[in-house]
Amino acid sequence: MKIKDIMSTNVANISPTASTKEAAHMMHDLHIGVLPVIHDNKLIGMITDRDICCKVIATGRGAGWTKVEEVMTKNVTTCFDDQDVTAASNLMISNHVRRLAVIDHNDTMVGLLSVDDLARNSHDLACCVLEASTQQH
Amino acid sequence: MTMKVQEIMSTKVETIKPTSSLRATARALSNLNVGALPVVDDGKLVGIITDRDISVYAIAIGRDPQSTDVQKVMSKEVFTCNENQDIYEAAEIMKLHNIRRLAVLDDAESISGIISIDDLAHVSRELAGTILAHSQAIH
Repeated sequence: MKIKDIMSTNVANISPTASTKEAAHMMHDLHIGVLPVIHDNKLIGMITDRDICCKVIATGRGAGWTKVEEVMTKNVTTCFDDQDVTAASNLMISNHVRRLAVIDHNDTMVGLLSVDDLARNSHDLACCVLEASTQQH
Repeated sequence: MTMKVQEIMSTKVETIKPTSSLRATARALSNLNVGALPVVDDGKLVGIITDRDISVYAIAIGRDPQSTDVQKVMSKEVFTCNENQDIYEAAEIMKLHNIRRLAVLDDAESISGIISIDDLAHVSRELAGTILAHSQAIH
């Protein structure tokens, strides 16, 4: 099974210069917890609801004036859409993440793959990812 | 295989007061490396607050994190189980309500732990995988 067979497509994204307040609004309206950050059609980062909680609100910054690029994760773990799903599971395990950005061989982002997507395909693969997780609860 | 919730739950769970500010709660979630904290008043569980409640919901409705109390944005409907229940029952509750954690109560109705889908994954891939596969979150 290939990653492209089970990934989420039509993923919303945000610009690096947008405010984290705008990001929060988008996450709220779209019922999602993560947004890929795209600049010049290239993936340059990811921002999550937890980033906004821990890096903006906990530190006393204002969401209205803090830009997405200031708190996003820049080292995004990616995989290719034509890789096997077991490769995706291994990447999540070794990088302690639950989501991967999926790119094609032109370096364009084409989707997102979450541990939930893996679970719909294989409980074993998904649970290996959960077991390797570092968050307490 | 039967196994009780208390055998696999996380104990020594930190809690937060309903009158704590969102900022203080965000700091606690960050420092403790957890995604949710039970809100406890006078020894009773009154709610649960997650990193998402603070970032997405509070900002979207325009709440100031310094002057807003946790009790204004926490979920008041907390899904719980008893520590003596079977883990299969805990998994059913998670699946039914599309959630990934339950507050665990003892027979005196005090919070004694939290059980998450990660805890389930360590003992039953089938149970945890079913909950994940059933989840409604888009990504």
